[in-house]
Amino acid sequence: MSQPGFTVDIYQNEYLTEGAREVNAVVTVTSPDTADFAPRGSQGSAEIIIVDCSGSMASPQTKIAQARAATAVAVDAIRDGVAFAVIAGTQTARHVFPEDGGLAIADPRTRGRAKRMVGRLRPGGGTAIGEWLRLAHQTFIRHPADLRHVILLTDGKNGEASRRLDDAIRLCEGVFSCDCRGVGTDWKVGELREISTALLGTVDIVPDPAGLAADFAAMMEAAMGKQVADVALRVWAPQHATIRFVKLVAPAVEDLTGRRRQAGPQAGDYPTGAWGAAESRDYHVCVEVRPAAVGQEMLAARVSLVVGSPSGPQVIGQGLVRAIWTDDEALSTRISSQVAHYTGQAELVQAVQEGLAARREGDVSTATAKLGRAVALAQQSGNEGTASRLAKIVDVVDAATGTVRLKKKVEDADEMALDTRSTKTVRTKK
Amino acid sequence: MATCPAGHDSGSSDFCDVCGMRIGAPAGVPLAVPPAAAPPDTAAEPCPRCGTARSGQFCEACGFDFDAGQAPGPERPDVGSGRHLRPATWTASDSGRHPGPATWAASDSGRARGPATWTAVVSADRAYYDMVIAAGGPDAGVVQFPGYCPERRFPLTGPQVRIGRHSASRGLQPEIDLSGPPTDPGVSRLHAVLIAEPDGSWAVLDPGSENGTLVNDSEIATGVRVPLRDGDHIHLGAWTVLTIQAVHPG
Repeated sequence: MSQPGFTVDIYQNEYLTEGAREVNAVVTVTSPDTADFAPRGSQGSAEIIIVDCSGSMASPQTKIAQARAATAVAVDAIRDGVAFAVIAGTQTARHVFPEDGGLAIADPRTRGRAKRMVGRLRPGGGTAIGEWLRLAHQTFIRHPADLRHVILLTDGKNGEASRRLDDAIRLCEGVFSCDCRGVGTDWKVGELREISTALLGTVDIVPDPAGLAADFAAMMEAAMGKQVADVALRVWAPQHATIRFVKLVAPAVEDLTGRRRQAGPQAGDYPTGAWGAAESRDYHVCVEVRPAAVGQEMLAARVSLVVGSPSGPQVIGQGLVRAIWTDDEALSTRISSQVAHYTGQAELVQAVQEGLAARREGDVSTATAKLGRAVALAQQSGNEGTASRLAKIVDVVDAATGTVRLKKKVEDADEMALDTRSTKTVRTKK
Repeated sequence: MATCPAGHDSGSSDFCDVCGMRIGAPAGVPLAVPPAAAPPDTAAEPCPRCGTARSGQFCEACGFDFDAGQAPGPERPDVGSGRHLRPATWTASDSGRHPGPATWAASDSGRARGPATWTAVVSADRAYYDMVIAAGGPDAGVVQFPGYCPERRFPLTGPQVRIGRHSASRGLQPEIDLSGPPTDPGVSRLHAVLIAEPDGSWAVLDPGSENGTLVNDSEIATGVRVPLRDGDHIHLGAWTVLTIQAVHPG
C-alpha cells in the first residue's frame, strides 16, 4: 500500500434476536494524522471563489465592501502553486481574475493582481447561480487537477428557473466540491443546501457581513488542508440483503443512501469527498439481511474506504459489520450507545427541520410539538449548539420534557441559522 | 477458494463472499443448526450462458434466470402500458409474504389514538433499480436511473388514490401522477390504487400492471388489497418507491 491506511472502527451490537433482520452499525473513519499522508497527485489543487455581485449586494453598502475584503483574505490564504480564479456572479458569470478565463498559478504576484481586480467589483444585476456554477465547471475542466474546490458567496435567492440550477448542479457533481455561504437573510437555505449537499460541501449563514473575512479564511484553510480527493465508502452486503441507509452522522447528518454507485454485483460506493489529515467522521449503516438460525454468524456488511489511483481503486481501510443470532436476550437486547446516540441526532435534525417548516406554514401545534421534541433531544444528547439556536426560536419551559412555547418575535437570521446548522451533530464519548 | 456452509464458493476465507455466512465455526458459538435456505444443488452450477458459478436464482454476471432456464430476452418496444422490466419468474421465492418493517413499526400499533394523517412520499430508489436491472427483464438495458429526482409528497385523502401516468387520450389523470420528469418508463398508465379502509387505514391494490408492484420487497397478487402500515415501501416501475407515512396526532 503506497498510502498509510485510514482507520475504520465499527460500533454495534452484533447480537440479534431470532428472526431479526435489521443490522445497525456506526462506522468511525479516521484519516492518518501525518501532515502529508497522501502524496498529492502531480496535478495539484484548483480553487475558484465565486462572489455574488448582484444589485442587492449594494444594500447596505458595507455588504459588497465586506465581500471584497473577505475574498481578498481568501485569496491570501491560497497556497503557492495552487491554480485559482475569481468569478463575479450576476444574471451571468464573468471571470474577474485571471481575465483570460483560465486559472492562474498562485504566487505573491498573481495573488496581488487578483486582489486588485477584486477591489474593483461593483454590484449590479441579477442572481443566476446555475450560470455561476457552469462557468466554474467550464474553467475547471480545462485544467487538470486532483482536488477542485469552490467557495460560493451569495446574498439573494436564485433568479433562474429551478430546473436551470438543478441541471448545473448535476453537471458539477463529482467534478468539484463547493462550500456555500449566504450573507444577510434574503437567500434561501434550501437552495444553498441543495448545492452543498450535491457537491459534498458545507452551507452556513453569515448574518453580519463583518464576519465574512474570518469565515472565508477558515474555509480556505480547510480546503488547502485536503490531501486526498474522491474517497468512497464501499459497502458490500450479502446476497438478498437490502441497504436501508448509509448516512454521514458526524460532524453533520447527510443521507448518502441515494448517492450509491454500484461497484460489482454486491457492493456500492457512497461518496465522502476529500479528506485532510487527522479528520474523523462517523457513518451510520443500516442493512436488512435474511435472518439465519440461532447460533449462526453472518457478515452483514464489509465497509471499505476506497480511493482512485492510476492502477484502479485502492482499498485504504476496512471494517466488518457482523450479525450473530442468539436466543440469549441479555445479549440481543443490549443497545449500542453509538447507534442509539446517532439515531437520536438524526431524529433531532428531522424534528428541527419539520418544526421550522410547520412554523413557516403557520401550523402552531405541529411546530410547538416538533421544536419541543428537538429541545428535549438536544438537551439529552448534549448538542449545545442546536440547543442555544433553538432557544432563540422558542421559550423553553422545561427542556427535559420538551415543553416549549413559540416566541412571538423571531429574527430572520436566528431562524436561518437554526435551519442551516440543524444538521450539525455532537459525537459520543467513546 | 473456500466453500461456505451454504455451498457458495468464496474468495474470502472468513465470511462467504456471496451470503456473508461465517466460514468455519467461530469460537464459542455452536454451529449445530444447518442453514435452512440455499438448496445444496445450487452450489457451483455454472451459468449455461456465461459460465459464472451460480449463487442464486439469477446469474450475478449476466442475469440468466436459472429457475426459468431463460436468458434475458432482447429489447422490446414500449407496449404502451409501461416498459417490460420483469423477467418471467420474478415472483419466485418471496411472493405472498408481507413482512412489516423489521423492528421499529410494531411498538406503536394497537395504541388507541385519533385518526392518522397518511402520506405517500415518492422518490427514486437506486438499490431497487439495480435489482431490477440485475434481474435483466427485456427492457432493462434501456432504462436509466434518473440523475435527479426530487422527493414528492402526496397526502392520501378521499376513497381512493390512483397511481399511474396521465393519459390525455384515455382521459386518465391519476392522483399520484408519475409522468415526471423524470419519467419512470416501467410504470403503467394505471399501475396501482391506494384504497381507504373503513378504519381509517389504507391498502394498496394492483389491478394488473405490466410490471407488478412490491410491498416491502414482496410482489403482491393482482386484484388483492394489501393493508399498509407506517413505513411500508411500495416499489413499482424501474426505480420508483412510495414510502407510506401514517402520522398519529398527539
